[in-house]
Amino acid sequence: MLFLFFGGVIKVEVLNINGAERQFADGVPATIADLLNHLGIKAATVVAEIDGTIVHRDKFAKTNLRHGQSIELVRFAGGG
Amino acid sequence: MTDKLVIADREFQSRLLVGTGKFASCEIMAEAIEKSGTEVVTVALRRVDIENENDDMLAAIDRDKYLLLPNTSGARDAEEAVRLSKLARAATGINWVKLEVTPDPYYLLPDPVETLKAAEILVQDGFVVLPYINADPILAKKLEDAGTATVMPLASPIGSNQGLQTRAALEIIIEQANVPVVVDAGLGLPSHAAEAMEIGADAVLVNTAIAAAADPAEMAVAFKLAVEAGRTARLSGPGAVSRRASASSPLTGFLRNK
Repeated sequence: MLFLFFGGVIKVEVLNINGAERQFADGVPATIADLLNHLGIKAATVVAEIDGTIVHRDKFAKTNLRHGQSIELVRFAGGG
Repeated sequence: MTDKLVIADREFQSRLLVGTGKFASCEIMAEAIEKSGTEVVTVALRRVDIENENDDMLAAIDRDKYLLLPNTSGARDAEEAVRLSKLARAATGINWVKLEVTPDPYYLLPDPVETLKAAEILVQDGFVVLPYINADPILAKKLEDAGTATVMPLASPIGSNQGLQTRAALEIIIEQANVPVVVDAGLGLPSHAAEAMEIGADAVLVNTAIAAAADPAEMAVAFKLAVEAGRTARLSGPGAVSRRASASSPLTGFLRNK
């Protein structure tokens, strides 16, 4: 989406993260690593899925994000 | 001690697997795991809580010491279980998975049809599959034939602490199995775990009974001892059960005349 704002062009983009839509006023973060950084999440224990495809941790910094993608961020929790 | 538990290609000294759910804190969990003597701990896979970024329970588990066994809890069908298994594999770097498909929220009983379906897919994909099942001897056989590494029949519903409600069926599964039988779910007391081992289970998995105890670390010790006692009893060859008494003192030389 493009919005005119104070005479300039601001690119509002969205990602669906863990089932909830999230807006990014200045475009989505460039990579998964950037997104985690933006959200304040430590990458060390996280696994990501983009539109149903698993992204391994070592690819976080190389995996580009696009407007409209669905991202799952999961990690281990206690369980039996 | 040469009596080892062998699952797939791995050997374990301990026959007690411990779940990591329901502990009041990571510290309490870590201490209970340590005291239990376990070598395998189960974990669940969940969405990161983006608004509340504080929960990293994995840091409390020494992965050099304990094999992390991810479960597929929350899966309602085979497709969801396969997806969770693949995510877990990506997270751990190993291909072991405790397969759980529990569409019923009240009793958390496993779906046999979807479990078998998921097991077949996962085995084909190279996973070491440990399926959680009802105590169904036919299903256990079919899973074994499909190539699962164990079968994990339930003693009673998850977290119910009811003990071996399925004992008769468990005995049939144990009698027929060519893979390790891990009795999972519902073991509420060390005596239940000992009973499972006495009837020939290869191992047991305990979570709630330890995690929800007033002193989880001490309860972990109790379960460790019970599992060892039950296993030793099994290997020692228990005597026969009979309806009538069988005197343990001599029936001669009584201090009477007739």
